[in-house]
Amino acid sequence: MRISRRSANQIILASAAAMAGGLRIEAAAAAGKVIEIGIALPLTGADADSAHRILNGALLAIKQANDSGEVKGYTLKPLILDNATPTAGQYDPAQAATNARKMVSNPAVMAAVGPEMSGSGKAMAPILSEGDLATITPSSTSPDLTNPQFAAQFRPAGKAIYFRTVTTDAFQGPNMANFYAETLKAKSVYVLDDSGAYGVGLANAFIGQAKKKGIHVLGHDRLDPKAADYTTALTKIKALNADSIYYGGVMQAGAKLAKQAYDIVPKMIKGGGDGIYAPEMLTAVGFPAAEGWYATIASPHVTDNPKVQAWVKLYAATYHTQPDDYAITAYDAGLVIVDALRRIVAAGKPITRALVRDYIQSSKTPTLQGVVSFDANGDITNRVVSVFQVVKNPKYPLNDMLKQFKYVGVAPQT
Amino acid sequence: MTPSALFLQQVINGLSLGAMYSLLALGFTLVYGILELINFSHFNVFMVGSFIAMWVLQFFGLSGQQVILTGWPLLGVLGAALLITMLATGLLGVGIERFSLRPLRNVPGPVAMITTIGISYILFNVILLTVGAETKNFPNPLPMVKWHVGGAVVELREVLIWAISLVLMLLLQFFVQRSRLGKAMRATAQDPEAARMMGVEVDRVVITAFFLGSALAGAGGMFFGLYYNFTSFLIGYTAGLRAFTAAVLGGIGSVPGAMVGGVMIGLIESLSGQYIAVRWSDVIIFSILVLILVFRPAGLFGRLAPTKS
Repeated sequence: MRISRRSANQIILASAAAMAGGLRIEAAAAAGKVIEIGIALPLTGADADSAHRILNGALLAIKQANDSGEVKGYTLKPLILDNATPTAGQYDPAQAATNARKMVSNPAVMAAVGPEMSGSGKAMAPILSEGDLATITPSSTSPDLTNPQFAAQFRPAGKAIYFRTVTTDAFQGPNMANFYAETLKAKSVYVLDDSGAYGVGLANAFIGQAKKKGIHVLGHDRLDPKAADYTTALTKIKALNADSIYYGGVMQAGAKLAKQAYDIVPKMIKGGGDGIYAPEMLTAVGFPAAEGWYATIASPHVTDNPKVQAWVKLYAATYHTQPDDYAITAYDAGLVIVDALRRIVAAGKPITRALVRDYIQSSKTPTLQGVVSFDANGDITNRVVSVFQVVKNPKYPLNDMLKQFKYVGVAPQT
Repeated sequence: MTPSALFLQQVINGLSLGAMYSLLALGFTLVYGILELINFSHFNVFMVGSFIAMWVLQFFGLSGQQVILTGWPLLGVLGAALLITMLATGLLGVGIERFSLRPLRNVPGPVAMITTIGISYILFNVILLTVGAETKNFPNPLPMVKWHVGGAVVELREVLIWAISLVLMLLLQFFVQRSRLGKAMRATAQDPEAARMMGVEVDRVVITAFFLGSALAGAGGMFFGLYYNFTSFLIGYTAGLRAFTAAVLGGIGSVPGAMVGGVMIGLIESLSGQYIAVRWSDVIIFSILVLILVFRPAGLFGRLAPTKS
């Protein structure tokens, strides 16, 4: 018997209904068996803010599944682990590996959401692969993780276990290079990265396509995210008369770079990837220094989509913070896992990690960003990169991500 | 930008870095000179200083870079913030000495040094857990005044940082060389045993060294915030390690050595970033540390380390 799949509209209606009337659907088997879903994110440190938005997205999907009793006979329980350490001050790949071991060694954990950062993903993927535990990342975009060329390193056990509800830097970097060349008409660029796995990969992907588009790449240097002073690098860039800067990295170095760039090269075109599409851009950097920066995300922009508004309101009411697009991809990751579990139960099979992986692999799950399906390596088949620019909008609070990052459009695909 | 203007600009950048490293290096040098102790808690006294300065400036109603002051209000606010910050971090240093290091004064071996590492972690985590991990927007009331010199740009805040740092360092040098307590400090540095026999109150000397060193670190922390417009619980390590290298380069224990060493490390950082690559700066700076320790452990200015050992 086939059970029709839950459509995105139904999700939205259910969300709206739950919000409007406090409608509680009785859980079908509240006291049933417990399945744990690992969630490993950098919940403290420099990326804490964006990590919590992602966490909330995943938790909301789990909560709704429990409320509606969608996975009959089972209760879903999150197993939340912190991928950051105080010594790193941000995500720490060594801690991420430890967390991956914790999840693998816990027999109740059947699937995972996360990690946020590719650097953590590279440490976790081999462990998850050996444990046959599938994870769905809402935001880590390094192409290496799913590239068959690195299969021996990141999926030694063979099958894809690293799935994504975002596309990769193999599209995020090059599509932004297209945007620099075609839309911004940049003739030259200086590229900086923050020495992390994500930042270096993104910067290299950008450079490859920028050269093809005829942008003159004046140089590529690496910033130490724990250092404070980037004036040396910026002075060098100013002296080279570059048209533009592209930064591959996250906010620990990004916040300082943005502040100092405003002092030294205020008029230059400046942009980066999803690492700087972050609340810290507005709180730690603030106006006027943040003004004008471009950032991308590796997913379609849906928080402004009228169809998603009910969900956005529910999220904001539940967690007292606005969702960003990666809160949505995290929610979508949760939906994919719930959908896989539901189909296994419906097929009358026992829930095992291997089966959960196979059912995630074959997903065609309606989510907020559309129907999610994966290729054989775990990458999402939909490859949209959205561009934003920080533009001060005095009508809204200056730290409101959804209003101060203005959606520019979809970056041109190659 | 012409090559010479670019060079000049990087020298200006390096001097600002150097002024902060010098202020921080003095704290290492003062304590080492007297106790032969490398005080790793100094890293995070500097970091706490930048937070205290931030809170004081916020208390005066400043937030971010939105409020700009000029004339007397500017001088008053900055002067008050500097004094309060220096006093607070000075007392923090005295507290660290009194409650955690003095009981260990006569314990041989690296016990005291390891204790300072522990205190460093405590300060680090107290700030992390109370104010959070995000980078904080540091209030800066300085107007954006710039001068063009030989094609390079000098900003008011840079000139201010150089001038105040220089004044503080000259005052310290004057104090150590001319005052009675300074004389007692030098005597203790030379031979604590003999100094005690001559009637020098060693405890007072030690407390003075911690107070002055920590107060200068507080000033460094405030300048850090004013220069970069941010602060974070993480800033102690990189700055602290480089300042420590500066102190060793100048000759740990030597006050003029710390000043010169700081400026040299600042210049090395900015010029190596320009002419080699920023990613190599740390390698170069810490290679210098190793080379100095191997070939000239007394540093450029030689001693002031106790002669007892």
